[in-house]
Amino acid sequence: MLLFRSEETVRQWCRANGVPRRPVLDLDQLWYLATTWYENRLTVESRRPGPDEMVEIFARIGLEGPFWDPKADRW
Amino acid sequence: MSTMDLDTAVKLNIYQTLAEKAQAPSAAQVARALGVAVEEVEAAFQSLHRKRLLVPEPGDPSRIRMAPPFSGVETPFRVKVRDKIYSANCVWDALGVPAALHADGVVEAADGHTGEPMTLEVRGGKPVPQPCAIHFAVPAARWWDDIVYT
Repeated sequence: MLLFRSEETVRQWCRANGVPRRPVLDLDQLWYLATTWYENRLTVESRRPGPDEMVEIFARIGLEGPFWDPKADRW
Repeated sequence: MSTMDLDTAVKLNIYQTLAEKAQAPSAAQVARALGVAVEEVEAAFQSLHRKRLLVPEPGDPSRIRMAPPFSGVETPFRVKVRDKIYSANCVWDALGVPAALHADGVVEAADGHTGEPMTLEVRGGKPVPQPCAIHFAVPAARWWDDIVYT
């Protein structure tokens, strides 16, 4: 994933690289993912969320559908 | 020591070293610290890779490319926390560094299209609001097909 100044530079990047525009998150959504993924990473118990957990985590911040499903085979 | 125990010990050593030194240890350094053979540590690297907690350097199983959110190599995402500069793998991981260290931090990055420098700041345990957009080009099911690109 890439960071952009604005939606406009996202559009410019997609156009320049022939890449379809995909989901765009804001800073609060990204911070939620960063803390959920990593706040326990330095502990004995740390692990990456499993596929079903990931779907639940994404849904909590409004990210739903096959794009956000690690088990999806089309999106 | 069981395989699981060694995996956990290796994982903790890697992350503690990264947190303290802002540099990923080699398999030999982890082996010395834990008093085990290098081959055992390299096997643990592979096991942690299967758990998606580590990415060994492609072509060199003795080195670490990623221990998310940290990068084992310099990247465009530089994160200053306290008096150290860490490298992160992407913008998600750049915020993940202060999250993992439970500290405030400043991320130096750049707009993915224009290259214009951008700074993100975590202060008081949350990001300082500012206009930005984070674009996910790769669907979740494909993130680990090529995690370095993702």
